Amino acid sequence: MKRRDIILTIISIVVLFLFVLYANNNFNPYQNRILNLCAIYVVLGLSMNLINGFTGLFSLGHAGFMAVGAYTTALLTMSESAKMRTFFLEPMMSPLDKITLPFFIALLLGGLLSAFIAFLIGAPTLRLRGDYLAIATLGFSEIIRIIFTNTQTITNGALGLKSIPNNTNLWWSYGTMLFTLLVMIALINSSYGKAFKAIREDEVAAESMGVNLFKHKVMAFVIGAFFAGIGGGLLGNLLGAINPMMFRFILTFNVLLIIVMGGMGSITGTVLSAFVVTSGLEYLRVLDESINLGFVQIEGIPGLRMVVFSALLMIVVIFFRNGLMGTNEFSWDKLFNLFKRRPFSKKGVGQ
Amino acid sequence: MSFELFLQYLTNGISLGSLYALIAIGYTMVYGILRLINFAHGEIFMMSLYFAFYGVTMFSMPWYVSFVMAIIFTAALGMLVERAAYRPLRDSPRITVMVSAIGASFFMQNLGIVIFGGRPKAFPNISLLTDVIKIGTVTLQRLTLIIPVVTIVLLFGLLHLVNKTKTGMAMRAVSKDHETARLMGVDVNRTITITFGIGSILAAIGGIMWGSRFPQIQPVMGLMPGLKCFIAAVIGGIGNITGAVIGGFILGIGEIMIIAFLPDLTGYRDAFAFVLLIVILLFKPTGIMGEKISEKV
Amino acid sequence: MTVLKTDHMTMRFGGLTAVKELNLEINQGEIVALIGPNGAGKTTAFNMITGVYRPTEGSIYFEEKEITGLKPHEITKRGMARTFQNIRLFKELSVLDNVFIANHLHLKSNFFQAVLGKLQPNFLDKVIGERRYKKEEKEILEKCYMLLEKVGLLDLKDEKAHSLPYGLQRKLEIARALATEPKLLLLDEPAAGMNPKETHDLTGFIRQIRDDFDLTVFLIEHHMQVVMDISDRIYVLDYGINIAQGNPYEIQNNQRVIEAYLGVTEDA
Repeated sequence: MKRRDIILTIISIVVLFLFVLYANNNFNPYQNRILNLCAIYVVLGLSMNLINGFTGLFSLGHAGFMAVGAYTTALLTMSESAKMRTFFLEPMMSPLDKITLPFFIALLLGGLLSAFIAFLIGAPTLRLRGDYLAIATLGFSEIIRIIFTNTQTITNGALGLKSIPNNTNLWWSYGTMLFTLLVMIALINSSYGKAFKAIREDEVAAESMGVNLFKHKVMAFVIGAFFAGIGGGLLGNLLGAINPMMFRFILTFNVLLIIVMGGMGSITGTVLSAFVVTSGLEYLRVLDESINLGFVQIEGIPGLRMVVFSALLMIVVIFFRNGLMGTNEFSWDKLFNLFKRRPFSKKGVGQ
Repeated sequence: MSFELFLQYLTNGISLGSLYALIAIGYTMVYGILRLINFAHGEIFMMSLYFAFYGVTMFSMPWYVSFVMAIIFTAALGMLVERAAYRPLRDSPRITVMVSAIGASFFMQNLGIVIFGGRPKAFPNISLLTDVIKIGTVTLQRLTLIIPVVTIVLLFGLLHLVNKTKTGMAMRAVSKDHETARLMGVDVNRTITITFGIGSILAAIGGIMWGSRFPQIQPVMGLMPGLKCFIAAVIGGIGNITGAVIGGFILGIGEIMIIAFLPDLTGYRDAFAFVLLIVILLFKPTGIMGEKISEKV
Repeated sequence: MTVLKTDHMTMRFGGLTAVKELNLEINQGEIVALIGPNGAGKTTAFNMITGVYRPTEGSIYFEEKEITGLKPHEITKRGMARTFQNIRLFKELSVLDNVFIANHLHLKSNFFQAVLGKLQPNFLDKVIGERRYKKEEKEILEKCYMLLEKVGLLDLKDEKAHSLPYGLQRKLEIARALATEPKLLLLDEPAAGMNPKETHDLTGFIRQIRDDFDLTVFLIEHHMQVVMDISDRIYVLDYGINIAQGNPYEIQNNQRVIEAYLGVTEDA
């Protein structure tokens, strides 16, 4: 990297830092919640993009990994009394009921457990061809959800967990986002990242050039799951309450929406699209709820929001196949060129 | 467990399996011809139930008229989905088409919530189908016997169509190679549309019988049976119609038997299909009846 | 030394025998061609040798060690690389990345070292020392530049692979194969789709890389001029059966070969 770019990158990080500082003190809880969600969805989007966009595997198991992360983090951070109150139907199994860990360690363990489960799942399924993989990972994600619904003494079953400490704040979510972003950029540009992309482009050729397909697929899958688990952990401790119903296929769909709209195989696209889609999903809640404009009451229609979003997804897929960014990435060079030349003359957006 | 009880469970399993089989055929046919998991198939199934429901309740048609109308509308819907969500992406990477399929599925599901409301509705009770009869010591609904018969009859009809008619030949040609089929004068798009139509008709017939058997319908009900029936198709060997029926039976009977013999695992009932899928994929990735598809290098 | 040896290598697809009991022997430094009419089983033979298919019967030895049934990437690691008949580049990636990826199998840094190496800004190198991955990456890049220079693609290193003209794509594929540091290079129809000038240059080019990289070359080719010019020895396949072998002069005058190519039958 050029010195100029390093300086500019550091400046942007500082600006982000100042922004979080400002937002933390001045924004209302609702706005902060959305900002938190945006950052968490960046983490989730990047993790899924690594698997689906960069390595070209079609995995639909994200909600399962998020569930593992969310439950692990929540269970390890809840206080003993909160656990007592939550597990009123059947007491929690020992020694889990006594353990309370710091947020950071709980989050890390959530990510690691999710990665470990991904390894167990990946070892058999990653040998499968594209669409079989999709259905098998979707199946595993459902199995995880079904297990969580039935293990009353560990997860409190269908009742879910309540009074999870609200550890997630802007510092945590944006810190994690930044960390994920840096790791992803480094990974994608490294030899390993290039090997992932080679698998996406042509498996037969990649294997013939000495890339161990299985090892690299498992690697991408496990790393993706690690960050999905972290994202899930942040989400659980942001919302304060989770239950198995939250982790249905629709959650995977939301993340898929983000990476498709941003461009499969573009980190920049995922980041932009995570903000647009998440805040969009949040602000379009008005479609589902009734609005009182003072003089007239507009009845909301439950479900309309998701109708709009699924229609949007299809429009993007059919008419703008490359999403926002295609496989292009932001770079300081491109930004400077944008200002130097005539604006919008040769910016590689959407190809 | 007494033999009577076992027979009771077995007939229930066979009838559930027959329903799975009918829906699985739709998946297998579309996969055979487009190499695509038609994620929207479960929602097409769901829509057929609402068509039948509204035909009887809102337009107060006699049930048989309403059911025929529902089948026609469902077929039209299936073809419309193909037209809108899949045809524009005919030459795109499969991952793109699959995203579009998932989009179509969620679109219909949520449209269902908007139009029909999210709350479950009671499917009309047709006494001709649901009356309880007694054979020896086994009591069951008449439907329990009708369903497997209908499935087997439809299976043979379909096999005749695919293997003996011109349309069937076109289907088989398109499933091998679109380009060659086109050069041989097969109207590829029309053949694909017909395939979706047939798949949707079977889904509608399955749907109506499903509704009579489990008379509670809601917009999200398509997802789980949809997934399970795709799994049935994979177990049987995707692309193979007989395989889909066999897969459906295995799944249906297996699921009921788990509840019967291992009541502790009832909560894991829905997981059975997925576990079976993974086991099958590991040991016989092409399914029971499937042929090996290898990529040309 | 025998670089490649196949012993009764056979491939059946259902009832069809694509290659039947093929015995090949290729020695260090040779350029050997495999020819035959379309559908004779030449590419199938390549696919078995490189591990894409597992032979139904028979065995394959590379440098006198058995490699039958090994995965393609394991065989590549032992020192065998190939190109494809229908060019299989990483289309959306840059020319440079295409060659870079072929070095991945020799990378010593593990995943964490690679990420850490990438994360460390250059100015920290002086303070806490350069990371191993960075050194490795520099070496790989130098090697890539050298290879691209050799095939005349250095100026086009940032172009996407699929934007290159056909002849250059073939050369890029060869450069990519060379980056895996092979001892045996398998070329599947290198002259296909090339114009007369490119075809003419190809012979010299293949000899050149053979000498520069100390290679043994095994190629499938339909262009007889190229085959006769370049090969030390030739194997001829017809309907999966090895009907002749020998030097170019012997092959040109072999009655069975002529019949196979002209489709002469006993009735005719």
